[in-house]
Amino acid sequence: MTLGTLRRVIIFAICLVATANAVTKDNPQKGVLPLTTKSKEVRHMLDEVWRLNLDEVQTAAADEVLRKALKIDPDFAFGHVLLSQCSLDPAEQVREQQKAFAMRAHASPGERLVIEWFQNAADHKLIPAITDMNEVLRRYPHDRWVVFLANWWLTQQTEYERAVAVFERSGITDSPGLMNNTAYTYAYMRQFDRAFALMEKYVAAMPNNPNPQDSYAEILRMAGHFDQAIRHYQAALAIDPQFYSSQFGIADTYSLMGDQARAREEYQIGFEKFPSLPQLHRVQWQTRQATTFVREGNYPAADQAFQAIADQAHAKVMSQVEADTYRQMAIYQPEAKHAIHFLDKAEAAARHGRNAMPFAIQQETAQILRARVEVALKVGNKKMVSAALNRLTQLSQTSNDKIIESAYHGAAGAVSFADGKYNEAMSHLEEDVNNPLSLQRLAAAYQKVGYGTEAKRVSETLANLNDPTLEQAVVVQAFRKCYEDPACGGSFKNAALEK
Amino acid sequence: MRVWRLLSLLWVLALVSTAEARQLAVITDTGNSTTNVTSAELTKILTGRTRSWLDGKPIRIVLRDPSSADMQVVARKLFNMEGDQARAFVRAHSDFIVVADSDDTVLRFVSSTRGAIGIVDLYSLTKGVNVVKIDGKLPVEQGYFLKGN
Repeated sequence: MTLGTLRRVIIFAICLVATANAVTKDNPQKGVLPLTTKSKEVRHMLDEVWRLNLDEVQTAAADEVLRKALKIDPDFAFGHVLLSQCSLDPAEQVREQQKAFAMRAHASPGERLVIEWFQNAADHKLIPAITDMNEVLRRYPHDRWVVFLANWWLTQQTEYERAVAVFERSGITDSPGLMNNTAYTYAYMRQFDRAFALMEKYVAAMPNNPNPQDSYAEILRMAGHFDQAIRHYQAALAIDPQFYSSQFGIADTYSLMGDQARAREEYQIGFEKFPSLPQLHRVQWQTRQATTFVREGNYPAADQAFQAIADQAHAKVMSQVEADTYRQMAIYQPEAKHAIHFLDKAEAAARHGRNAMPFAIQQETAQILRARVEVALKVGNKKMVSAALNRLTQLSQTSNDKIIESAYHGAAGAVSFADGKYNEAMSHLEEDVNNPLSLQRLAAAYQKVGYGTEAKRVSETLANLNDPTLEQAVVVQAFRKCYEDPACGGSFKNAALEK
Repeated sequence: MRVWRLLSLLWVLALVSTAEARQLAVITDTGNSTTNVTSAELTKILTGRTRSWLDGKPIRIVLRDPSSADMQVVARKLFNMEGDQARAFVRAHSDFIVVADSDDTVLRFVSSTRGAIGIVDLYSLTKGVNVVKIDGKLPVEQGYFLKGN
């Protein structure tokens, strides 16, 4: 070590002691977030959490280690915020965020910024959340936890280019977990070549771990390469037969390929083979299994399957899950009165708001109101359209929340489109481009006003959407049939499926 | 599989990438007490018809190239010009408008220059600057003026 380096290390260490007395082990590495914990064991456990959560994506196992770490050092505020972000239990997410915020006085200045960033995000205070995040990134651009959290949060905000930039500027080139996350971000940008290149590196970095194969499979599936996707899922299961995500990934892929009977068989194999799935994972794949009936147009069977999920969520007091399940049931109902019945149930569940972050309940309420507008438009009930849209407008005006605002614009765009106000519809729908229903209308609105290139681009995005969600099932299947059929009245003949 | 927060809403979002409207924030130095401007006032500032703040401090403007893709909304809504015209205008008025190559440069300039005003992407915002409302609204509020593709 040179004298200059030694001097810098000493100055840095003095600064850390001066600003964060509770930091027991100063980290002299520039750009690395100082972690405040009294325990060396907890630091080792955090490395374990990183490996399990990021590199191997064994989230449930990682959460277990975090819980143990927090038993050893309950004042470790940053640990609480990590658990709140990584937990698969909605009640725990809420609890841990509250603990993190309450204990922020025990944290280093950098950790406090992270805690406040997520608290502001939870409170719908987007501008302070952004400035907190950017301040953390300015101070600690090379810290793996900061890079992970920023990449992840920005991806949730659909700020994909920025999320990728955080990774690229970090200079961290050897983290399998960050390669994995960034590959997904590229895939969301539909830059599949870049995503596949990172996947090759991820697989090479961890050849004996199932998650790289599983991730590769999922990204191949997103790109529409279903057969290759199944082969990679099978490769993951060959490495670790207990890697349940790949079993359900196979099921999801068959569903997207149109083989719903096989998909249901594969889901069932998964549920029987893995009876102790984390709660939210179980709900996720039960929902997808129920969606297979929607893809077949077998609505009574879909109702039965979705109702079982709602009952289970109700019994376990998971309000948002229950509300969202009823909302999804409303979306595919052929008859408006049934849809309204389920939307009423969804709103009742959301009002209970148990075991969910308040912002998540507000987001759910916005999605329910948006669905209400869709149903009202379908039956031409202007009074109901106006009532639901007014409530959604109010909700949107009082919350700085991108998801709520998107829901508002999706609903307002649907209303403008129905009124034949295509320019107005376009400006709304362009704010809700993550929703297949809005994409479909946007393509049609572009076509109506003569923006052929834009119509083609949006149509291709929609036609190539391979996401095992209910919205995809309801919209994309019919959309593809229409534009592939020359007899169909649709205007999307120029769109092409990616092969 | 990637690490993902499994709120149920997140799995209904399809995560497709197409042109999404960007929001731009108007920023001033923290010593500036202005909290709100009207869109008309902002146009007057950017086009040089208003050259000083109410307290008499001279206004210094810093912008990214208004013909760049991200700044089209500024060219259209504030300069009332096409991107290339706005760029030519800005170049011709280098006495009071500085062109920066990135949001980071805009933020550095504004945070360190009394009387400065700049425009950056919402997600570039940092501490050390004030965010000014336009027509009483902050970015992310419904009906915010500087939003668009």
